[in-house]
Amino acid sequence: MDREPEIQNKEPDSAPVEPRAKRDSLWKKAFRKFFRDKFGIASLVVVGIYFLIAVGVWLDVIGTNWSATTDASFAPPSSEHWFGTNINGQDIRDRALYGTRVAFEVGLVVALLATTIGGVLGCIAGYFNRTIIDEVIMWLYGCLDSIPFYLFVAAVAFVLQGNPYAMHIAMICTFWSSTCRIVRGEVIKIRNLEYVEAARAVGVKPLTIVFKHVFPNTLHILLVQATITFVGAIKSEVILSFLGLGVKNSVSWGIMLSEASSEVSGGIFYNFYTASIFLFILVIAFNIFADSLQDALDPKKVSV
Amino acid sequence: METLQYALRKFIYSIPLLFGVTLIAFTLMVYFGPDQTYQFLSKNPTPEEIERVRSELGYDQAFAVRYVQYLGDLATLNLGNSNSSGERVTQILVKHIPVSVALALPGFILSVVLGVSIALIAAFYRGTWVDKGIMVFAVVGMSISFLIVVIAFQIIFCSFYGLNWFPVQGWDVDSVGSYLSHVTVPTMAIVFVALGYNTRFYRAVIVEEMNRDYVRTARAFGASPVKLLFKHVLKNAMIPIITRVIITLPFIVIGGNIIIEKYFSIPGIGQVTLEAIISGDLPIVKAVVALTAVLYVFALILTDISYKMIDPRVSYK
Repeated sequence: MDREPEIQNKEPDSAPVEPRAKRDSLWKKAFRKFFRDKFGIASLVVVGIYFLIAVGVWLDVIGTNWSATTDASFAPPSSEHWFGTNINGQDIRDRALYGTRVAFEVGLVVALLATTIGGVLGCIAGYFNRTIIDEVIMWLYGCLDSIPFYLFVAAVAFVLQGNPYAMHIAMICTFWSSTCRIVRGEVIKIRNLEYVEAARAVGVKPLTIVFKHVFPNTLHILLVQATITFVGAIKSEVILSFLGLGVKNSVSWGIMLSEASSEVSGGIFYNFYTASIFLFILVIAFNIFADSLQDALDPKKVSV
Repeated sequence: METLQYALRKFIYSIPLLFGVTLIAFTLMVYFGPDQTYQFLSKNPTPEEIERVRSELGYDQAFAVRYVQYLGDLATLNLGNSNSSGERVTQILVKHIPVSVALALPGFILSVVLGVSIALIAAFYRGTWVDKGIMVFAVVGMSISFLIVVIAFQIIFCSFYGLNWFPVQGWDVDSVGSYLSHVTVPTMAIVFVALGYNTRFYRAVIVEEMNRDYVRTARAFGASPVKLLFKHVLKNAMIPIITRVIITLPFIVIGGNIIIEKYFSIPGIGQVTLEAIISGDLPIVKAVVALTAVLYVFALILTDISYKMIDPRVSYK
């Protein structure tokens, strides 16, 4: 709160006529700040390239040969098979490209739904702080947090037997809690601000206040949380596929790595190198992107 | 005495949590879990036999009845026998939990100690290349999947493509030497993966503490930077650090480290439980879930009590 004057002082002096109209929103400032961050832009470009690959696979332009047995097993890298072939003679390049699509599917679905649920419930819990609603929501995420994650996923996968989205559902069920916790904390602060009090005073309904006035002010948290959840989902997919609880009838980097785990002892590293590098570059780019985003959107940091 | 009263009160408050966890776990893992009827029957069973086995397993009862029965079993510690091996569940827990703890604890302790130390260094040299270098390594470490680390470390340290210093897998422990030879590679993998996250988290906590007014005052009075860091900042940063450490502990005891246990074929409780969920060995699943919930509640209470020990300003209210 005490930083407010500082931010105003930093406004450009060139247009003092109508300072109110000239004041930029948090988003505009963040946008400008983000594009001054070299690492942020670089990471965004990398994520963008991956996204294009994923779109290409969706449109059936690239990665079409992921399941066809095109050559002898464990063929070394060549102009035809850039990264070699796997035990069934399937092209590892195409499998890795297809894995990009699967990674984006898992990441986007889980990130979108988990942050939405976390955001909405966090707003409600925070606004109705110290009421039974808050208690129930806190109880719910407390319960989910105290069940070991992999066991929970295993159980959900079993209940939804055969459902290809069992893994996604399990992740959404557990990943919303951290967003909810953070948003709840923020909303407890927001609900005591004057504008909320004013809305309450003129008789706006509580739920309207929550969704029309409070929720939009948590969007910057949700955006950062979504990127963090995205990374978490991709990384969990790898582990779950290794445990046999991941994607079915498809290929992902996790499946490639679990194939690799039995191949490396025989000295065959094609799957391992390819999947590791694809996974590592996307995750590190996303991590850097999340950091830059957080820096750009942090209203406490004074920005021009 | 005051502490005991406080702990008791906290425990009563956490009873809804225990009910919630057991209810979720029961619904997911037991009620909708695998049906084991046919594992107990011979090849062409008669309808009467099926009926008998189903009632032995309790499948013919209503949801609420089965749940209450489950709670009763837990309260009386009547955990029953494993369906697949026939062993007593308590015995299975006693056999496998120590393995998990012995496997995960060294890595956990090292990753906390190293994480805090590196975070202190980074915070001490905040803004310089030392700090930036550490943070770059932390982000890189955070971005490498656990599975990749485990595979890579096994190749490097346990196979003849690498150094071949340690056993490839298994848990054949009868002396300190054999324990060390089995635990070293998993520990390195655990530390490697946790270090990035830990360093970033602890650095953020320490830096936030360093921005406080009392630090500026102390510095103005001429306190030496190193002394300030250890005596004042670290002490005040202890609350978030302790919280993170204690909350993680129950999952080490019970969840173990499933990936490590599976990859190195170590018979820890994590692997046993995973198999039990998939095969539907309900007595084991029931016991493990209940135990986790109880340990988690104890961890929550323990953090609250430890706040008081660290910071005398905290009151039991």
